[in-house]
Amino acid sequence: MPEALLQFLVIPLVKIVVILGVVLLVVAYATFAERKILGYMQVRLGPNRVGPKGWLQPVADGMKLLVKEDLVPDGAERLVFMLAPCLIMAPALLVFSVIPFAPPTDLFGLLPEPIAPYVADINIAILFILGISSVGVYGVILGGWSSNNKFSLMGGLRSAAQLISYEVPMGFAVVAVLLMARSLSLVDIVEAQRGFGFLTWFIFPGILAFGIYFICGVAETNRNPFDLPEAESELVAGFHTEYSGMKFALFFMAEYTNMTVVSSLAVIMFFGGWLSPIPGDDVVPGFLWFSAKVALFLFAYIWFRATFPRYRFDQLMQVGWKWLLPLSLANVLVIGLGILVFRNLLKG
Amino acid sequence: MNDSTPSLFDVEEMELSFGPQHPATHGVLRVMLKLDGEKILDAKPIIGYLHRGTEKLFETMPFPQCLPHTDRMDYVAAATNNQGFVVTMEKLLGITIPPRAAYIRMLLAELQRLASHLVWLATHAIDIGAMTPFFYTFRERDAILDLFEEYCGARLTLNCMRIGGVPHELPDGWTDRCAAFANDFPRHIEEYEDLLTNNRIWKRRTVDVGVISAEDAIEWGLTGPPLRGSGVKWDIRKVFPYDRYDEIDFEIPIGSNGDTYDRYLVRIEEMRQSVRIIQQCLIRLPGGPIMAKAPKVLRAGQGMVYASVEAPKGELGYFIVATDKGTNPYRCHVRPPSFINVQALPELVRGRLVADLVAVIGTLDIVLGEIDR
Amino acid sequence: MSLADFFARLIPTDLFTGLGVTGGYLFRKKETIQYPEQRMRPKDRFRGMFGYDENRCIVCHLCAKACPIDIIHIADHDERDPETNKKKKVMDRYDIDVKRCMFCGLCSEACPTTPKSIWLSTLTYETATYERNTELYFTKDRLMSWEGVQAFPGVPSPAQGQSPDDPLGRKPTQPSSATGEGAASGQGAG
Repeated sequence: MPEALLQFLVIPLVKIVVILGVVLLVVAYATFAERKILGYMQVRLGPNRVGPKGWLQPVADGMKLLVKEDLVPDGAERLVFMLAPCLIMAPALLVFSVIPFAPPTDLFGLLPEPIAPYVADINIAILFILGISSVGVYGVILGGWSSNNKFSLMGGLRSAAQLISYEVPMGFAVVAVLLMARSLSLVDIVEAQRGFGFLTWFIFPGILAFGIYFICGVAETNRNPFDLPEAESELVAGFHTEYSGMKFALFFMAEYTNMTVVSSLAVIMFFGGWLSPIPGDDVVPGFLWFSAKVALFLFAYIWFRATFPRYRFDQLMQVGWKWLLPLSLANVLVIGLGILVFRNLLKG
Repeated sequence: MNDSTPSLFDVEEMELSFGPQHPATHGVLRVMLKLDGEKILDAKPIIGYLHRGTEKLFETMPFPQCLPHTDRMDYVAAATNNQGFVVTMEKLLGITIPPRAAYIRMLLAELQRLASHLVWLATHAIDIGAMTPFFYTFRERDAILDLFEEYCGARLTLNCMRIGGVPHELPDGWTDRCAAFANDFPRHIEEYEDLLTNNRIWKRRTVDVGVISAEDAIEWGLTGPPLRGSGVKWDIRKVFPYDRYDEIDFEIPIGSNGDTYDRYLVRIEEMRQSVRIIQQCLIRLPGGPIMAKAPKVLRAGQGMVYASVEAPKGELGYFIVATDKGTNPYRCHVRPPSFINVQALPELVRGRLVADLVAVIGTLDIVLGEIDR
Repeated sequence: MSLADFFARLIPTDLFTGLGVTGGYLFRKKETIQYPEQRMRPKDRFRGMFGYDENRCIVCHLCAKACPIDIIHIADHDERDPETNKKKKVMDRYDIDVKRCMFCGLCSEACPTTPKSIWLSTLTYETATYERNTELYFTKDRLMSWEGVQAFPGVPSPAQGQSPDDPLGRKPTQPSSATGEGAASGQGAG
């Protein structure tokens, strides 16, 4: 096989298939983890009937959603109605093409030369991610509007307003990281945190940036305490009220995929990505560290859902604009000043 | 400018029917909302979806048979419904119940107050978004329902009181189990408070939401925690004591602002005071008979009477008219606290957002069973 | 806003307390009971499905009169015993329309016999059926044989000699002069 075909077609295709498979599996079992962990925190066992200890529950859920009747409401805009779930799922999955899960590895000697376990390492990865994930907002708006339903429309518009508002402080929190890493590429950001175990991770100088980033991340994924757009007790189910079957499954999976994206980015930008917290450790593969950290973040998402009440919509917007945005701007200033002082100290 | 040209700032009203099937309306309550975007311009509660003709049913059966039907009005707090009926009947007949029966009734009523407030806390929290207090409170409520089951055989529709006293003697060991529960319960209240009372999100959702001034509360006839949350110290157990409440030492918590947060604090404190009452009743429980002498076939003679008890939701009153030879009530009208409290709903939500509607319905603590009867 | 207030708003200690409460529950014992493999036993005085014993019943109609919903239908006639020349009541029909019953227990309280001829302390609550009108209308024979009723495990049907005071048969059978439901001493802890 010619070298070019192998390098530019076969290997990326294999990587895409593997990454998509792993991500979708993670998403499916994130739903299971949510139900189990939520149950455990609520003094009950979660699902434990399907399969051993309930571990086949996502399979059962998937099969159920596949065979459900596909209802399109009367008066709904058919094409847009079918397009909306795709518009929200595709960007979420697309982001995974640039997220580095581990350093280039040769799979313990299986492969002749090391390959990078990510599809691409572009030098504007952060910009790419911020841009692509914003396309997901279209899916929300169009989904709410095309349902021909007052509740859905209200839910869709609220959700869109929320998503757009929280992207701004999130962007500024990311800028703080960029100042420290001096590069937009995610692999460079991880490498910039290599040093002395966890002490050189960006979490320490960037604790405020991390706080802002994670709160905005929770708001971006419409999760508790910012889940008013899909609050059951107020708008039934918000913008995805009228969806059933696989289209609803796509909305549902898109939410968990977005959660995984936010968690992965938080891990890469603040917690060292695939670096080990123990200084000088080379034994445990980077992928395992990455997975463990992302799992902890997903657990934090579920923990928030179990504990907090939800913000009312105007309070939600107030938190975003009046509190997080000024803080994130101030944070950029502080980090910038800190870097200036620190680097001058090192030089002089 | 022409009058018919719509201006950019014209209010476009949207009419939304909130309910009757809705997860947050605590039953089959329908609220017709007039909305401007998300702001509520007007709200009209429409009731009657659970009307079962209870008051007419009362007229068709003898007095003792009316009791199981009273259970089903406020189905969350059946013991106080029973208590209201028997207290009114005893006032009509002029019967004084033995002290042991009075103390057992107080125990059952205060346990029921705890159970009802636990349901209130669970549903109010879950409406505002915190889903875990539901499970913790229902675990405690299950312990209370176990105590009820041991006493009278049912968990929800208790039928645990009779005209003239109580039907059963306390089972063996019931007082010990009740005391163990009452001693253990305050730490669970601490748990719920840890989750909610100082939580900034909870405070933002409940402070200054649904504010009722004291004058308005009295004018609208509100009773129970909506009244006490506005600062009016009025509790039927203190002002018109029945069933030996005047022998027990307890306090009436009141709020200051009259908002949802104050009503939340009032109910939490009421739970603590109920525990105090239970502990005192268990210590002072006298011996003796549990049923006064009452004829098998009750004829009340000509007369009418109104008496009320302090149900967990407010003042629950019964107005009973009896005729000379009649074994049945000629007319029995129930004054449900939720019916009067829900009339304040439009005033409380006018100008606020839809999310506040849910919080206000939760804080008024309405049960459609007793609104519609 | 003072500096202390600013930091209090910035660092959400109240939220961390809440997280601590729910996080702690992750490691505590759960309250789930795996029904139907495990069942909770109702308490002794639990008002469940009817038990009826025709042999003890004296056809006094007190239960039918006490019922708030009038679901007990009794028909009887008098017969003269040829030997002793005494009038005897013979029960023709004793039907209970269980689908409308609210299990208030007033019928059981009104029954004057000892032990009771109609009782609700059967610990049985699994009476669900697929068809309501025929399967939940119990005639005299079905009330005794409990045909179609899923009894609580260990509880015999009234025809097999279920005792109202002791449905699980924990105590050795006592002569029928045993005390009725009023005395608490025989009940024991739930």
